[in-house]
Amino acid sequence: MKKLYSNKWVIFSLVLPGILVFVFAILAPICLSVYYGFTDYSGMGEANFIGLENYKNLMHDSSFGRALLNSLLLAIGFICIQHPLAIVTAAVLDKLGGRAEGFFRCVYFIPNVISVAVIAYLWKFIYNPDFGLLNNILKAFGYEGKINWFSPQMAIWSVLIVLIWHGFGWGMLIYYTGIKNIDPVLYEAASIDGADWKTTFFRITLPLMKPVIQINVTMAIISALKQMETVYLLTGGGPGDTTQFAANYLYQQAFKAFKYGYGNAIGVVFILICILVTVGLNKIFQNKDID
Amino acid sequence: MKKKLMASILAAAMAVSMMTGCGDTKDATADAAADTKTESAGATEAADAANAADDSASGEEVTIKLFSNLPDRKNGQGLVEQTLIDEYMLENPNVTIEVEALDEESYKTKFKAYAMDGMPDVVSIWGQPSFLDEVLDAGVLAELNESDYADYSFVSGSLEGFKKDGKLYGLPRNTDIMVFYYNEKMFTDNGWEVPQTYDDLLALADEINAAGIVPVAMDGGDGWVLACYMQDLMVRLAQTPSDKIANAIANGDFSDPLFTEASQLLADTAAAGVFQTGFDSQDYGTAQNLFTNGQAAMFYMGSWETSMALNEDIPEDVRNNIRVFVMPAVEGGSATATDLAAWNGGGYGVSADSEVKDEAIKFLNFMYQPDKLSKYGWEFGVGLSAQDQTSYLTGDETELQLQVMDLLKNATNISGTPINDCGSSSFKTTIETEIQSLANGSETAEDFLAALGEACK
Amino acid sequence: MSKKEKTKVDSTLLQRIKKGCLWIVLILVAVIQIFPLIWLVDFSLASSTEMFTNGLLIIPEKIQWGNYVTAFVDGHFLLYLKNSILINGLAVILVVLISIMAAYACRRMRWKLSGLVKTILLLGMMIPIHATLLPNYKIYNTIGLTDTLWALLIPYVAFSLPQGLFLMTGFIDSIPWELEEAAVMDGCGIYRIVFQIITPMLKPSIATVAIMTFLNNWNEFMMASTYLSSEKWKTLPFSVLEFTGQYSSNYAVQFAVMALTAAPAVIVYIILNKHITKGVAMGAVKG
Repeated sequence: MKKLYSNKWVIFSLVLPGILVFVFAILAPICLSVYYGFTDYSGMGEANFIGLENYKNLMHDSSFGRALLNSLLLAIGFICIQHPLAIVTAAVLDKLGGRAEGFFRCVYFIPNVISVAVIAYLWKFIYNPDFGLLNNILKAFGYEGKINWFSPQMAIWSVLIVLIWHGFGWGMLIYYTGIKNIDPVLYEAASIDGADWKTTFFRITLPLMKPVIQINVTMAIISALKQMETVYLLTGGGPGDTTQFAANYLYQQAFKAFKYGYGNAIGVVFILICILVTVGLNKIFQNKDID
Repeated sequence: MKKKLMASILAAAMAVSMMTGCGDTKDATADAAADTKTESAGATEAADAANAADDSASGEEVTIKLFSNLPDRKNGQGLVEQTLIDEYMLENPNVTIEVEALDEESYKTKFKAYAMDGMPDVVSIWGQPSFLDEVLDAGVLAELNESDYADYSFVSGSLEGFKKDGKLYGLPRNTDIMVFYYNEKMFTDNGWEVPQTYDDLLALADEINAAGIVPVAMDGGDGWVLACYMQDLMVRLAQTPSDKIANAIANGDFSDPLFTEASQLLADTAAAGVFQTGFDSQDYGTAQNLFTNGQAAMFYMGSWETSMALNEDIPEDVRNNIRVFVMPAVEGGSATATDLAAWNGGGYGVSADSEVKDEAIKFLNFMYQPDKLSKYGWEFGVGLSAQDQTSYLTGDETELQLQVMDLLKNATNISGTPINDCGSSSFKTTIETEIQSLANGSETAEDFLAALGEACK
Repeated sequence: MSKKEKTKVDSTLLQRIKKGCLWIVLILVAVIQIFPLIWLVDFSLASSTEMFTNGLLIIPEKIQWGNYVTAFVDGHFLLYLKNSILINGLAVILVVLISIMAAYACRRMRWKLSGLVKTILLLGMMIPIHATLLPNYKIYNTIGLTDTLWALLIPYVAFSLPQGLFLMTGFIDSIPWELEEAAVMDGCGIYRIVFQIITPMLKPSIATVAIMTFLNNWNEFMMASTYLSSEKWKTLPFSVLEFTGQYSSNYAVQFAVMALTAAPAVIVYIILNKHITKGVAMGAVKG
């Protein structure tokens, strides 16, 4: 028995596909990124080794700073707007019961299964100042002006709204599951004690949801950091660099500005930041799940 | 398979309609071949047989990959390109041409990705430093034999942008002029007049705004149109700004008053509400649609959009009333109305390490035969080619086409490459981002020019 | 007794008001979530010029089914749908297989490095997928994988694998040892144990991993647009992109292609709603 379970070849054959995929699709590209990050490779021709030059430039590259700031804003937006809404909706939905509950749950999640490509273009139309849905709604309420939803001051919030809208169902569903997992006996006990819904929500629901909230918050911050596709299609990082994000920026630098080396340097820093943030958040929440 | 079938039917149908259109007798055999193909669609053998006499059919199967910046294959320049491809494949049944087409911004991005390793065989290119310098340095484009094109009647000087060290690497497709398209009917109905001076334009914009219409639809999401606008202003201010631009880029110093004046004027124009709300985040299609659907009175774009006059997707009362004027005179500027912001930008090149290089060049030469690109371009209302088109006047030209042709005919000065394309591609990325900030008022002209200088270092 | 009754009446009234409020909130959220999509479908059936009216929704003068025909034919709908299904299907199968094998090896087999290997494989969760776009493009180009199925399949599998592995290890831990012991007594080899005994017991978790993988990759677009060039392997989100160029002056057709692209996923979701909800909930809460 023991021998059977410690057969080196069997173990090797079982983990080999996973290792291969990891090495080929994750490790190798990262190593290549590290290499090109030290060069001035433009994408064509020769690559010259230039040491830490790219990283020095990155230190005072205001666009990259802006990208990180935007990630932070986005994360705050998720946590302060999307998640409270999602928790409340989930709590309300939980009380509903019956067929309607399933119906709403289904409706809320629908935007989530639609491709970002569709979502981004759709919202481009929705935001259009001249014939978009949003300004038309405002007009229906009697507002005459044309709001420019992508003005430098508003653009990042407009992007945030799209992301909140798109990801709302996901967040809601997770909270909803969390609430469903709370032992109903607790609620019964609370109602016998005469607690109103407020007390129940803040004393029972929220505290018991803590692990779920932690997971959701972690995921929100990380997805804010990794944001790319919506921005790439919706604003391209503009106007100016007001909606720039790290992933979009490295893509632009490599494939638009002919700075493949610099793009890779951004990639390396970007990966480091993501790892640090993930590890940091796990430390903060003392999430022992990843051993 | 089904798609190929569709394509060949379409090709055949197109070829037929075109030939009846121009009534050329020497194409009779090809015509017959096309007919056979329509009837026994899919049976390529029939077409093969009909073309057996054609000596160009060597019999060996060749696939040429064409990478194009013209995604709309049913209108304008894209239709011209597709028509030529279909015609070439009919004449050379052993050749298959596969097209990958993306809009300009995505095209340029993907082109750079391709340039790293292995490009398609025939590619769209731009004869401008920002695009071509690095590409030529890397040697990814094949050299062309200039003397081959002596009879192709290229407009003099139009090949210069495609050369490096005296060697030719590409051929220009268009002559581009930046113009204001305007809706003439809307103008007459409202008693508006074509502005003669820049102040007229600003005053007109106020009037149009008051009528609840967008004055000028501007594709500001792509920074290059704004940069062309600035170029246009500089032409009005200094007549021939190209030396100053070249100097400024070489030295990273944009302190010349010309730049300050032009960028300030652009910022003021935008602030005065000449462009639509949110122009700095709207793309080409959005801006154009504002104009073609009567939401905007004018549309600032290049002469390649002349084909709007023939585009069936555009409502008829707009389509038939599109006219153009050029950037009006700026107070204190030295230029006259016949000094144009114009250049020979887009064209084609062949990949240096293409496996079918000879076939690709053959196809390139086919496209540039004087009675191909130029002629079809003219017939499809595309605007101005880089070759002499005067012999193809048919009398059926749209009003718009004739107007644009007159502009070029009467031109006293041509500006050459616009400012954003005069530097490296990194400079281009910078100016096209910064100019949005300049135009939407989040950056001053000073900061804008300082950022440009920084990008040149 | 009577006092109790009174509170009961009160509370039913109160409950009704409360219930009403709940309904209003829920309906409001539902409208916000779904209205843009209704708007999309509405205008996809109109003609392009009707876009430029002021109303929120319109009744098209004539319903333009032609928009959908154009979208269907010129958008290569069937081809792209087939590609999407094929690539995602393969990715799901591979992720499930590889994660079961690796999870089993790391949790059940006895070897020194099991913990380390698992941690390394899970590292992938932290790596931002888009940071690998540039180097991967270079790698695939060099070995000739661009514009092939593999260019998408490899990264799709790689970036879904950590989550799959994570979920699978959790599930495998909960399977009692006794089952395997019996099998070993009968002379089963490890492979048979993994594929004939463990795998069938993992059915619900396989569904979870499959759903998560599918949702992650079905709508992926950035890599597809970077690594692919010919139509041969392009996936569904591409139609939208191609159309904005091809039909730049025809908004209605652009709307039709967007609606059409979104349709398969939405329809499948509505049909399998319960299972998907369960899968996502299980996957997300644990992962």
